[in-house]
Amino acid sequence: MDNMTKTLIIIFSFAMILISFAIGWWSKKKANTVQAYFGSTGMFGPFAVGLSSTAAVASAFALVGVPGIMYSAGNAMAFWMLSSAAFAMAYLILGKKVRAMAEIGEVASLGDISDLRFNNNRVIKAVMSIILLLGCIAYLAAQIKAGAELFSHLIGWSPLLSGFVIFGVLTLYMVISGEVGGLLTQAFQGLVMVIAGMVIVVSFYKITGGFGEVLKVTAEAGTVTANGITKNFSPDIMNAWGVLPGVAAMTYMIIPIVGTVGQPQVITRMYALKDPKDMPKLNFYAALSHTVVGLLTLVVSCGAFYLVGTGKIGPLVSGDRAIYAFADYAGITSQLFVYAAVLAAAMSSASLFLSISAGIIARDLPNALGFKLSEKAQMSYAKIAMFLIGIASIFFSITQGEMVAILGTFGWGTLMSATFPVFVLGLLWKKANEKGVMAGTITALALNIASFAGFKWPGALPWYFNVITISMTITVVVSLLTKEQILNKKVEAVIEL
Amino acid sequence: MKLSEKNITTLIIITTALWVVINVLGWLGHHMIGMYLGVILMFLYMILGIANSGVVSKKFLMYPLSIWALTWILSFFLADYYAEKFAGILPTFNILGFHPSFAPVVFLYWIGGMLTLTLGFMVYKDEWMSENDWENFKDKIQSIEEKEKRGAV
Repeated sequence: MDNMTKTLIIIFSFAMILISFAIGWWSKKKANTVQAYFGSTGMFGPFAVGLSSTAAVASAFALVGVPGIMYSAGNAMAFWMLSSAAFAMAYLILGKKVRAMAEIGEVASLGDISDLRFNNNRVIKAVMSIILLLGCIAYLAAQIKAGAELFSHLIGWSPLLSGFVIFGVLTLYMVISGEVGGLLTQAFQGLVMVIAGMVIVVSFYKITGGFGEVLKVTAEAGTVTANGITKNFSPDIMNAWGVLPGVAAMTYMIIPIVGTVGQPQVITRMYALKDPKDMPKLNFYAALSHTVVGLLTLVVSCGAFYLVGTGKIGPLVSGDRAIYAFADYAGITSQLFVYAAVLAAAMSSASLFLSISAGIIARDLPNALGFKLSEKAQMSYAKIAMFLIGIASIFFSITQGEMVAILGTFGWGTLMSATFPVFVLGLLWKKANEKGVMAGTITALALNIASFAGFKWPGALPWYFNVITISMTITVVVSLLTKEQILNKKVEAVIEL
Repeated sequence: MKLSEKNITTLIIITTALWVVINVLGWLGHHMIGMYLGVILMFLYMILGIANSGVVSKKFLMYPLSIWALTWILSFFLADYYAEKFAGILPTFNILGFHPSFAPVVFLYWIGGMLTLTLGFMVYKDEWMSENDWENFKDKIQSIEEKEKRGAV
């Protein structure tokens, strides 16, 4: 890449960071209550919430890791990003109930919904918060690592310096504007990702001539070797299952789709919506923008296949280079948007997980442990917590690369194991009682830790699949075997809505 | 279609059993049955989610839910059928450039599934929750709160 191109990419990307900061600065006056600061509860319309949901769901892993795995192993991984129907499913299953919880009490965090549903049960709130915190920190560290490494590679700065510049700015605007600035900046970053998607699709058709050419090239290229790196092509790489065992496609279909229902970045956005009757519109914007981002991941992996298969570029050192290799070949316009989109994906997910982590540390966990803090104190502590978590995460993610890679396997599945017993079972089923949900969440926490410590599960499924199944089963069985609890009338009205 | 508390509990037990069965199928490598059962799992959760005061709209159940479920099951069936048929060779045809095994995933699973649920949700939003439902819910909460206040006094 020549110096002029590098300079333009850096200017374009830093312009996006500065605009994000400006949005955060502008939003700070609106973040003046606990509900606004921690949850932007009932504050925004469907367009902003929809784009923000897509941006928070589509992390750096979605834009870089998914095309990378598709480049390495074919289309099974495509299921992960072709999951745009998941938003409708999430809103149909939980949308009106989560939003309705904000009408029966103060809801600024997921812990508040747990309190309302399970009679302020401290164990449920504490255990759920700890699992969420584990998942959020894992996600946050992975986003920082991806963003910092990309820009240190481009600019030549150390990853630590890149991390401090990009995510230091992010931490700053999140501290001053909380979830209000978080949601609005994510909406802006989501828009950047959608525009990048459109630009890259046009480039893909211009370069390859379409998917038919890619299919032909991958079936006929055989083995390509250059610079000591070999890429093996096969006619099966472009079928639905790729070259992975079929069970990979099953996992990558079920987990992102069902998992979207239980992701904090989706649930928190349900109560951020001003008018609950706008939920179908919210789904429309979220699903449509996710579809464009999904198409982006599909075309960059296919584009990389085409370029390598036709010998226009050499085989990639690692699959994760697929998106950059394609953008670099496509030219300056694609490069400007793709690099900015990867940064946007990392920043949007990072800001959401930073905010949730700070809320848990400054608000939900102290509350679960019996400390009562005033609203002012909660917000002050959250600002300090957000600042400290932000700085610590930058250090940790850059200096502990191996640990971050291991933590990266937490994330999505870990978050599901925390939220499914509490929200999916809790808001759909009146008989889900405190004992059942306590047993389910404690089991999830123990199994998450055991898996992290190296416990080997049978079969080829990712470990979190087993953890979710066991925690759900235990919640249901214990709820059925123990005495049914009398529900608060307002909670009953929510479940019946 | 009315869902009693007993029906809801039965559906929750079935969905939980489905998690277990899908998990075991995953261990054993039976991905196709696992994917079909995955669709049933999601279908049942959506039935529970759209129930309004325990009533599931038949309209909503037909479209979008049943159409969506059929679309996805068909997509997985065709994906597997053509993957087997053209295993190890360049397919003799493509669908808008896609491998005949991957095309059902793109057009039925991804675009078809997304459009079916998204448009169905918009068209039949009142079957999910109408303006009246929401207003009635808020009135109910207000009345419960008033009763609670009187009780406290």
